[in-house]
Formats: sequence, C-alpha cells, structure tokens
Amino acid sequence: MRDLGPSYMPQRTLRFKIRQDGRVEETVEGLVGEACIDLTEKLEDALGTVERREPTSDTFLREKVQNQTIPAEIH
Amino acid sequence: MSHFSTVKTQLRKKEFLKQALIDLGYVPNERENLVRGYRGQTVKAEMTVEMSKGADIGFRWNPGSKSYELVTDLDLWKQTIPVERFLAQVTQRYALNTVLDSTAQEGFQVSEQKNNLDGSIELVVTRWDP
Repeated sequence: MRDLGPSYMPQRTLRFKIRQDGRVEETVEGLVGEACIDLTEKLEDALGTVERREPTSDTFLREKVQNQTIPAEIH
Repeated sequence: MSHFSTVKTQLRKKEFLKQALIDLGYVPNERENLVRGYRGQTVKAEMTVEMSKGADIGFRWNPGSKSYELVTDLDLWKQTIPVERFLAQVTQRYALNTVLDSTAQEGFQVSEQKNNLDGSIELVVTRWDP
C-alpha cells in the first residue's frame, strides 16, 4: 500500500489536566468507537478509579450534524 | 466516540511512586524497611524515605485497595508542608509520570506541557494513525 504521508492520517490527541490533588482529567479527541475505550483503559488501570466518563462536545456536535442531514436526504 | 474521564489517582505502581519521590527531591529506599516513629517505635513499609528531621515516611501496600498508602507518625511530622500537601505533591508527580510513560508506550509524543498558576499540570500528547 502506498504511504500517503502524515497529512492523510488522522491525528489522535489526548489532553490531560493533572490537578494539584493528583486527580487526572483526560479528554480524548479523534478516536472512533471502541478504539477510544481500548486506548485509555490501560492508562486508567495504572492510575486508578475512573470517577466520571462522559462524551466530549465534539460527539454531541457530530450527533447534531447527523440530525440535520438525515431529514434533508428524505425530502 | 471521544470522551472525557476524571480519574482519582491511586499509587499503584512502585516504579512511578519511586520516580515521583525522586522528582520531589527525596531519596526513597525500595527494600522493605522500617519507618521510625515516636520513641523508636517502627512499622514495616515497602518504600521508605528517611527524613533529616521528624518521623520517617513510608509507603505500605494495601492489598484491599491495591495501592500504596502513606504511613508516618503524625505526632512527629516536622516538614515545612502539611502531610496532606506532601501526599498531594507525590500523587500529582505519580500521575504525571504514569501518563507520560503509558502514552509513550502507546506511541504518543508530548506536544505541550505546562504548569498552570493554580498548580495543575496540562499535558497534550498526539499520535498519527495510519
């Protein structure tokens, strides 16, 4: 397979905020489906108990876009 | 799906706990050792730090919580910061080292790391996927 170079590869970004009390806030961007969970499970195992897990705003954005395009296709 | 997680950090891995103590300028002793307290009383701990003044500090493995817990004689605490602050500093360094190591193993590279005014550390790591 031809190597299309970095500009054709999706970039995965993980953002962490490690608070003063040691709590870690993690935001995962650009991961689709199960890969998202697999990738961070290992990390969370070494760190400790996950207190909260919620979808980020871009997930909501994607859902919103879908809601708008589906009726457009029907008409 | 992208997601957002909050993790309450527990000290689970000995090597990252050791590194956290070294980062903060302490000299950890990894052999099972005795933590000295009031009137020469001692308790056993898997990791110890001999302090120049006051009681020693130790970290003891708790099989129930599967993590290391701080053990010291609080009556003899003579450090410049309270014990809660000391433990928070160790935990923050531990979390940073764990995140750096785990993400590097998964092929991520650090693209940004900064210390905020509120004492938190921000870290951004990225990876290009084929």
